[in-house]
Amino acid sequence: MLERQKLFWGPGLYDQARSRERFLAAMRANCAYHIRRCPPYRAMARALDFSPEQLRTEEDLAKIPPVPTLFYKRRALFSMPPRRMAMRVTSSGTSGKFSQVGFDWGCVLAEVPMVLRLGRRHGLISPVPAHYVVLGYQPHRSNRTGVTRTMYGLTFFAPPLSRFYALRWRDGAYVPDLEGAARELARLSRSPFPTRIVGFPSYLWFGLKEMEKLGLSVRLPRGSRILLAGGWKQHYAQEVDKRLLYALARKVLGVEEEAVHEFFGAVEHPIFYNACPRHHFHIPAFSRVIIRDPETLEPLPMGRVGLVNLITPLINATPVPSVMTDDLGILSPGEDCGCGISTPCLTILGRVGAREIQTCAAGAAQLLGRGEGF
Amino acid sequence: MILANGILRPDEDLPQVLAGLEEEIVSTLSRPPLEPGVVTGACGALLDRLDRGELDELIARYSSPGLLAELAEYRSFLRPEALEARLARETGGLSGPRPFGRTEAYPLGVLLHIAAGNLDGLPAYTALEGLLTGNLNLVKLPSGGSGLSLALLKLLADTEPRLAPYLYVFPIPSRDRASLQTLARLADGIVTWGGDVAVTGLRAMAPAGCRLIEWGHRLSFAYLSGEPDPDDLAGLARHIAATDGLLCSSCQVIYLDTDRREALESFARSFLPLLEQAVRTARPDPGRAALGTLHGWEHRLELAADGAEDRVFPGRGCSLTVCGGRELELSPLYGNVLVKGLPRERLVRALAPQRGRLQTAGLLCPAEERAELTSLLARAGVNRITAPGSMSLPLPGEAHDGEYPLRRYLRAVDIADP
Repeated sequence: MLERQKLFWGPGLYDQARSRERFLAAMRANCAYHIRRCPPYRAMARALDFSPEQLRTEEDLAKIPPVPTLFYKRRALFSMPPRRMAMRVTSSGTSGKFSQVGFDWGCVLAEVPMVLRLGRRHGLISPVPAHYVVLGYQPHRSNRTGVTRTMYGLTFFAPPLSRFYALRWRDGAYVPDLEGAARELARLSRSPFPTRIVGFPSYLWFGLKEMEKLGLSVRLPRGSRILLAGGWKQHYAQEVDKRLLYALARKVLGVEEEAVHEFFGAVEHPIFYNACPRHHFHIPAFSRVIIRDPETLEPLPMGRVGLVNLITPLINATPVPSVMTDDLGILSPGEDCGCGISTPCLTILGRVGAREIQTCAAGAAQLLGRGEGF
Repeated sequence: MILANGILRPDEDLPQVLAGLEEEIVSTLSRPPLEPGVVTGACGALLDRLDRGELDELIARYSSPGLLAELAEYRSFLRPEALEARLARETGGLSGPRPFGRTEAYPLGVLLHIAAGNLDGLPAYTALEGLLTGNLNLVKLPSGGSGLSLALLKLLADTEPRLAPYLYVFPIPSRDRASLQTLARLADGIVTWGGDVAVTGLRAMAPAGCRLIEWGHRLSFAYLSGEPDPDDLAGLARHIAATDGLLCSSCQVIYLDTDRREALESFARSFLPLLEQAVRTARPDPGRAALGTLHGWEHRLELAADGAEDRVFPGRGCSLTVCGGRELELSPLYGNVLVKGLPRERLVRALAPQRGRLQTAGLLCPAEERAELTSLLARAGVNRITAPGSMSLPLPGEAHDGEYPLRRYLRAVDIADP
């Protein structure tokens, strides 16, 4: 069972060639584990003639049954009893339904070093204490959403002096307070310590627009950062050009584009995707991405638009080795980015069924600059 | 945005609007009732503007490209003559001389409309039915709507200012129970469109004495007997692709008048290419195509996880599943349909569990059997029987789930001679 730890503790954060054998070995072990322990997963694998020994090359990863996130929303699958799990986390369930994913202790043991190493690599970890303004949910025991935990986790990258939450738990419900967050930012601009804003991009966007409208503008101290996680949620229609967001952050908060970091991940695929300085999501060594044909689900070559299939051996508690999101996306060669990381870049174009996604492969290139990854 | 008495107001004004609502309602109800001619006239004026292309931009802004084509189907129902004919048909006989004197039809008073989100423009449509019968309408918009209904109702109030006091539109989310409760307290009738959860939730809110008018979710299916004509089958495929299975009238299950598994599988094989073709035409964009593929694939995995005997025939962006049972159930939607065997002798029995939810049957059979099967379907509880290709097309003068809605929005006032 050490294949997984070998992958997550091993060298090469963004080295697919170097991690290939370890990744395949960990995937074989992970799939075998779920097939052994989770009868419904075993039945699916059998129906699709899949067995872990088939995973010999990277191309073989496409043979692992890609299970839609929709499936996990309809039924919870587990490969171990709850008492052996470290925790159970849910997706935010924008449309009223949410997935449940269990996290085992081995997964935590693999995930923590991954997050720390990637955080360091992307310059997020600092010994200088910081104040946090979280444009997201205050943690509460009734809130099991992955994004709440992620945002809370991000408040430890620099020692926390204080935390302000824009969505606070009051008398059994979340109460939004964007105005309070704006006041807090104004207060923190006079602090000698930097501020870190952690939040949903949509909340940041609406908050900044509101501050701009009211004529408010502050200069946050040097070293302040903005960390964006959790996607645009139900605000796809309002998804903005990222450049507008950066410009607004500079204008209203005095935070430069380089200090804005974005993350991508899913409860069913909790790999810590960090945007590079050029705002691209390069695939880390702990994950593989297959883009599949929207009509046939066949794997597509690089540069074609399709359904995003995310693969990782991270979790034993829930069978999520290969997860099909309901996002359309595209892969592009890592070298084209120019940031120095060579693994391919994943760009999320938007939710399946959304009316605005009407492009085909030919038009995809022009979308590369817009909205990805939120 | 809130629409109140013809004026658009920001969401934040909700408390003020709600606070003053009862006074405004009482004042409107104290005045002489709204004449149907005012409403039909306003519809006519709007349709003229639509024909002149003046609304194209608005519709393009708020809705899918297909809406103009859909509106074309409905447009004949919105013409003043058609609306007047409908009023006459649905409320005919309600008023008139009686041995004791006379009976007059009066509006119920205040209708609260809770519209479902599965059909763009539905909130505007249900409010129009309320207006036609002279009622004052409080409309709760579904969350995630496009804004089309609000825009249309604002347009209607601008076109005919006499309608303005009869229209209030609120973007209240369903979880804001306090505001909904306030509206429900003011209502004489609550019109609910939606699933069981919405309907039961509203029942709990309705004050005693408030009339409940529930347009719940319905299930529809196609029934095929004999050797179907390929053109008719192509029509069925187009219907499935065009509605994505999302409407009450959308075909969820294709029933064949047989018990033979081989016949079902052979049908699936021959129907799949027609469905693929229809789906491809209906959704040229990858995002919509992927939705069908994803739902079909998810369904296939669920069946595999359960070890079900059902056999999936996957197509490009669609699928057919040949199932063992006979029950009518929801399909996986988005171009993924179920195929089941149901010999006519078992039809009434097999549909009995869903009797109160049946809506449309698309019937395809030899001409000489049509009368027999039609009567059989009607006895099973079906309220609409059409050709499979036109299951979701509106029929001029049709009832709604077996009832005449306008009659339910009125009350009969008996006036005895002194």
